[in-house]
Amino acid sequence: MRLYLTEGNPHCLKVVAAVELTGTRCELQFVGVEERVVPFLAHSKLPCLQLDNGNYLFSTNAICQYLFTLRGKEPSDLTNQWLEWEGTELQAALSGALYMAVVQGKRQEAAGALQKKCAYIDQSLTKRSFPFLAADAITVADIVLWGALYPLLSDSTFLPGDLKALRSWFERVCAVAACRKAVESILKGKGLQALKPYLQKQPAPSQRAETPASN
Amino acid sequence: MSDKVVLELLSLEKSLGLKKTNKYSTQGDKQVPVLQTNNGPSLIGLTTIAAHLVQEAQQKQLLGSTAEEKAIVQQWLEYRVTQVDGHRGKDETRTVLKDLNQYLEDKVYLAGDNFTLADILVYYGLHPILTELAVQEKEKYVNVSRWFNHIQHYPGIRQHLPPVVVLKNRLYTSVH
Repeated sequence: MRLYLTEGNPHCLKVVAAVELTGTRCELQFVGVEERVVPFLAHSKLPCLQLDNGNYLFSTNAICQYLFTLRGKEPSDLTNQWLEWEGTELQAALSGALYMAVVQGKRQEAAGALQKKCAYIDQSLTKRSFPFLAADAITVADIVLWGALYPLLSDSTFLPGDLKALRSWFERVCAVAACRKAVESILKGKGLQALKPYLQKQPAPSQRAETPASN
Repeated sequence: MSDKVVLELLSLEKSLGLKKTNKYSTQGDKQVPVLQTNNGPSLIGLTTIAAHLVQEAQQKQLLGSTAEEKAIVQQWLEYRVTQVDGHRGKDETRTVLKDLNQYLEDKVYLAGDNFTLADILVYYGLHPILTELAVQEKEKYVNVSRWFNHIQHYPGIRQHLPPVVVLKNRLYTSVH
């Protein structure tokens, strides 16, 4: 199988981390930001995975879960729930926050836009008292949420210090070798700025996406 | 009055042949469904709950049989809640229909040759869109219409939803 990636595309982090963590043999091919790889989609959707029989997976979360399934790690209710939440709730807030932080240089506003989502993760971690999101060991849910949050949370001053459970979970996942490798291959040591060329080509997030809490 | 998404889950339960009905509520502006379970914490989210019901009904094949089919089912379930439900205007709806039409060109079902949960949930999600679509547009998205018609006639799937008329013969032969 072949994984199509773009440098500086934040969605690539989780996928590369999942490839590394599961030890999947797969060809990595870097392509341009707007390259249309998936033949049936009108717009470019990257990263994507081409399977050996020619089929395409264009959902990053489905790709991550697929790589885990190949290693015998089937989804559970809880991992499914985190993946769905990431796709429907977190990504909506995140795309706006990343754009604000990287393209517009509005770090404070970006943190505000993400505050509620981060608090939700923090509460869930506190309530369940697992070291990871869905179990005692790392699962696909940790890789998916870590990859989504990494660009912003890797700056330890980004969020106020009170979300302790989130902070220690994040550091735990950051320490995993597969995750360090993913950061290296997608951000090339340039941190958040590595995302700028990619994000500048994205449409500005709509005002409706997520408004920061007003209190 | 029940929320649309709750009706959808109740229909899915019936389709799966589940006898006892679960308790649902919704949360937030987006009316995300919540399933209250007896033996554990509640489950949140349409695709998460739907996958759980499929397991409960012991019809795991609806989630895909091979690793690859499972991934494709998951992908289209996610597509349902992020793209089909997430559309904000006519242009985005058209992109969804166009992409699906292209994808379904050489397929019987979303996962290929087998009927899965992806067909059920994408059918539910497209129902309001297809209901509004003019005849001419239904012809434009001919593969979506064919697939949609197939799923709405699939035994036990349509449940609470009114049938959508999909013409078998083309009226506007010039439309491509």
